[in-house]
Amino acid sequence: MPDVRIEATINGRRIARNAKPHLRLLDFLRDDLGHTGTKEGCGAGECGTCSVFVDGVLLKSCLVPAAKAQGTTIETVEGLAKAGELSVLQQAFHKAGASQCGYCIPGMVMAATAALRANPFAGREEIKERLGGNICRCTGYQKIFDAVELARDVTNGRRPASALAEEDQADGAFIGANVRRLDAPSKVSGALKYAGDMVMPHMLHMAVLRSPHAHARIVSIDTSQAEAMAGVEGVITCADVPGVDGFGVFVHDQPIMARGKVRYVGEQVAAVASEDPLIARRALAKIKVVYEPLPAVFDAHEAMKSGAPALHEYAPDNLVKHIPIRVGDIAKGFADSDLIVEETYSTQQVEHAYLEPEAGLAYVDHDGVVTILSPSQNITHHRHMLSRIIAQPINKVRFIMSPVGGGFGGKEDMVYQGMLALMAMKTRRPVRLVFTREESIITTAKRHPSRTTYKMGLTRDGRITAVEITMISDGGAYGMSTEGVMRKAAILAAGPYAIPNVKVDTYGVYTNNTPSGAFRSFGALQSQFATETHLDICAEKLGLDPFEIRRINAMRDGATTHTKQTLKSVSLTRALDAAEKAARWEAGAPISRGTTRSDLGGEGTRPSCTLGARLAPSATRPKSEVA
Amino acid sequence: MAKRRGRGVAACWYGIARTATVDRAGAWAEIDDGGTAKIVTGVTEIGEGILTVLAQIAAQELGVRPQDVTIGDNDTARSPEAAHAGATRQTYMIGNAVALASRQARAALVEVLAKHWGVDGRSIKTAAGEAWAEGTNHKMPMGDAVHLAKSRGVVPLGSASFGTDTTGLDPVDGSGRPWQAYVFGCQVAEVEVDTLTGEVQVLGIWAVHDVGRAVNPRGVEGQIEGGIVQALGQGLMEDYRTVNGHATTPNLAKYILPTSLDVPHVTSVILEDPDPIGPLGVKGIGEPAMIPTIPAVMNAIYDAVGVRITSLPATPEKVLEGIIAKASRAKASRMAAE
Amino acid sequence: MLICDEYLMPASLDEAFDAMSAHRGQHRIIAGATDTLPWAREGRAGDVEVPVLIDVSKIPELNERRVDGAHVRLGAAVPIQRFLDDPALARAMPVMPQCAVWFADDQIRETATIGGNVINASPAADGTPPLIAHGARVKLAAKRGGKIERRKVALSDFILGPGKTALQDDELMVGLECDALPGYGASFEKVGHRRSLVISLVCLAVLVKLDASKQRIADARLAIGGIGPVPQRLSEVETFLCAGPLTAERLEQAADMPVALVASRSRQEYRREVVRGFMLRALMTAVRHAGGRDILAPELEAAYA
Repeated sequence: MPDVRIEATINGRRIARNAKPHLRLLDFLRDDLGHTGTKEGCGAGECGTCSVFVDGVLLKSCLVPAAKAQGTTIETVEGLAKAGELSVLQQAFHKAGASQCGYCIPGMVMAATAALRANPFAGREEIKERLGGNICRCTGYQKIFDAVELARDVTNGRRPASALAEEDQADGAFIGANVRRLDAPSKVSGALKYAGDMVMPHMLHMAVLRSPHAHARIVSIDTSQAEAMAGVEGVITCADVPGVDGFGVFVHDQPIMARGKVRYVGEQVAAVASEDPLIARRALAKIKVVYEPLPAVFDAHEAMKSGAPALHEYAPDNLVKHIPIRVGDIAKGFADSDLIVEETYSTQQVEHAYLEPEAGLAYVDHDGVVTILSPSQNITHHRHMLSRIIAQPINKVRFIMSPVGGGFGGKEDMVYQGMLALMAMKTRRPVRLVFTREESIITTAKRHPSRTTYKMGLTRDGRITAVEITMISDGGAYGMSTEGVMRKAAILAAGPYAIPNVKVDTYGVYTNNTPSGAFRSFGALQSQFATETHLDICAEKLGLDPFEIRRINAMRDGATTHTKQTLKSVSLTRALDAAEKAARWEAGAPISRGTTRSDLGGEGTRPSCTLGARLAPSATRPKSEVA
Repeated sequence: MAKRRGRGVAACWYGIARTATVDRAGAWAEIDDGGTAKIVTGVTEIGEGILTVLAQIAAQELGVRPQDVTIGDNDTARSPEAAHAGATRQTYMIGNAVALASRQARAALVEVLAKHWGVDGRSIKTAAGEAWAEGTNHKMPMGDAVHLAKSRGVVPLGSASFGTDTTGLDPVDGSGRPWQAYVFGCQVAEVEVDTLTGEVQVLGIWAVHDVGRAVNPRGVEGQIEGGIVQALGQGLMEDYRTVNGHATTPNLAKYILPTSLDVPHVTSVILEDPDPIGPLGVKGIGEPAMIPTIPAVMNAIYDAVGVRITSLPATPEKVLEGIIAKASRAKASRMAAE
Repeated sequence: MLICDEYLMPASLDEAFDAMSAHRGQHRIIAGATDTLPWAREGRAGDVEVPVLIDVSKIPELNERRVDGAHVRLGAAVPIQRFLDDPALARAMPVMPQCAVWFADDQIRETATIGGNVINASPAADGTPPLIAHGARVKLAAKRGGKIERRKVALSDFILGPGKTALQDDELMVGLECDALPGYGASFEKVGHRRSLVISLVCLAVLVKLDASKQRIADARLAIGGIGPVPQRLSEVETFLCAGPLTAERLEQAADMPVALVASRSRQEYRREVVRGFMLRALMTAVRHAGGRDILAPELEAAYA
């Protein structure tokens, strides 16, 4: 296997090395040279976190074979400024608040650098186009555009350098001030290490074998051939769990690795550790698992029917949780109404898509403390559960939170930390696991999909007399946060409106689909999507402006919620007033009047995107320099 | 006109901190050498900016500057429990705990200064690295004050736990007090629909959200802007699909996310209806920021082209199908009328 | 993951052919690698083990870029980005910049090659219809009996189906020869689920030249992708467009013609609906760019703007 020779200049330093022929430039930079500022967000050229300059041209290094680096000059994010300093663009990112979780930021800074090098006078539309190959999941991009414009203007002398500095707050009133983020410099410079960037001496790499079946009994697992492979340091299955297996946010229904049966495609069944990640991958193919497929169910409604395949012994009806809310007398409420509107709403399973795929590093320290470094959103709960699973006292289990490259609820479940702990305990060496983007998408929790039947009764002057909401959610193979999501969805379902008769039922159901778990707003997005759409349908039928119908029914100070709690202060009408004013809303019933309304366009909107901003003649350097 | 614009509105509400269960967070504070400060708490920064928020709170409460504050790593063996990142709880639970712990640490330092200067402790002010007694000439930098305290055998320490007075829900009618703080919001969306292709672009969102008290307004905007775009993704283009349990969208080429060219201009209006229970008045923003967006956009699509979207995502196919169906319904009723 | 034992970068066509025959059946050709690396991943081809990768991107002939009177000669390894930053190329192939600006993103365009896009033959590929509209001929070469043999195939005949081309096992795509069409009015339409890095559902390239009176289309080239297994040149539509005076009626009739061709397996109804609208919008834009502004009825223009 002849290595490729790479003689190149990287961030101003000459290097001369051999590299394995199959490596990508990304692997060479990160693993061989330790430049971990450049990230692998997806490995398929979609996210831009791997962007580097090769001979002055910005490329996605996950798509560049390392061999192509021979004889080139390469600049990574670490090379944009001298050690300890930040380039004008990096300072602008810091000042504008453009960095949140930071994982996309090195790549984004590189793309922004490329944009301003290509056109130092680029306008906002051209900047957007040139950043079109870089995904950010946290910021919504707005402050990233602000940062690039700020850097452009400071560089071109249009704004002073002091525009990049921290605002002075001599009076000490820091609450309410736009203090620059403490963690931004480490992110814009690429210095911050996430779990997938961390290395420890004698570290092993872990690969995971996953179920190809949605529902199957595990007849046998034979790991002997994998164990016998040269370079394999450890193989684990559920048989390696010393304590009480089972984790989950509300119900401990999920084993560290499949036990007895698999319940969804992609569920972890076994894992292998080796010094060489390629050997670990190849060893997976040597593990022989005999499955006996079982009837599976993929639809929540089907799963609720009697006779449907049951996923968990404790829930023969596949019900994870049902949350009821009852106020007043629903039948009377509808009888009192002049108008009844019914509709059905559905939302889909959605992926968190944080730019940092799951990763973690585990080791057993000199005191025998099992230590896991991972971007977990709940290390307290994880430690509690893991101590029971590996039969160790709580203070012999240690969870350290590594910097989180985006969470949104997707890193709340202890999906892989248990495997890391077991492997570290078995091999007595540090072990690292880094998910591929595909693994992250296919195997980890999604937002609960929902199917909501909605019935609302109103008087002809717009007052809601009754609302009946039934929401059924596919919780997938394991409980995860389903109970909590159903609860929150139910409590908030009928909206911030004073309604005398309310009947809400939310149901979370087991199926053999990818599990649904915590995702930012936790069920409230799904139920309020239905409510806020439904209100507009009703407003149209009654000839009421959509702000009007909401005002008529709005909760106010002293209101009683649908769980019969008194709220002292309710700011809803203030929010409605402020939104109406800020948007310069033209009043009118929502009868589809887009063609006649006069509040469209203007301040607060961006131009419609038709691409080609850089092709426009005005996109290039202006003829006269701006003072 | 092939491109049609429209507007829609939606409101929302949300509860702060863990639902229908008692929430809690603990924090330690130390005023340290040189007038710096250490804050240690189980804080889980996931990009929302909580580290900076806590530094600002500690800085103001202690009387130092945010850059003087070091926040310890979140480590079950090193930091007190502050529970998790989620439920829009950290500014509320941990912010309040840090404020209380900081006040205790400051009180320890003030006690030393009061004795040293012979003044009532209530006359002593600390801000941005300086300590002084009002109405007198007594003042010194915070670094000197710490040195003084230590020479008197006092390490200025504080700790606090902040908990909620909330209950579970009744299993029959759901009654109970699931949260002690609520927030409200409203968003207006303006969209443009291409009636030839069904493609929807969101051109503007005006977002109003009650956050109780904004610790870092730019950070609040960042959460609103990010939440809106994440919601937009679900509303218009994201769709995790499986067939018999097998994902047919296993990568980012098939599961598509909003890019820089897909996002609206966002105008954020921060409302402050302070929480009366916690010491700071803060509430939160992380999750509510994304709740009104989808219905506001769907209502705007209806305004633009009369197509009612009740199932997500509103792909170009769905929107165009609706436009065509509407046109043929209109044609049929015109023909019936003739 | 793409795993290989050896990575070769031949410096000439001869070297490439020698490597190919030395490792017959054991090699894979790559240029920009922007299609191959994402393909060798879980959920698509999975782990792919190839003994020898032969990287042809350094071969001088494959990097040719020349406007030569009536023809444009492009090497197979020319990156798509050149259509955006080479003014001579943009002038000679007026629809290409509009196509290129929609193609993936800046980073990918700098290494994704024209040849790679053609050989990959994805039904969604939007690089191919504009090239077909430029009458592209694919230049192929093979080394047989010690000599390099060459042939040319029309691009529209070269692509046989999704992922399938008329490339023979021992052949390399050397480049493309296209018609230079300076002064033509061009338009490119594409629809997808977002505005960047988007896999298009339907795409359409249109180039028109008006006669001296501006009352008639003298030459029209149209090619469409995404409505069937292969991209297609719309020759019948072209003939019809030139057959009489340029009127709104002629454009509308032309717009209806490709709808019946939609044969894709998925989202068939949607593609049919989109095609008609695209045709009109693209034709009107191209005609306008060709200087035919006054011909079009304002109502029609407004309806499709």
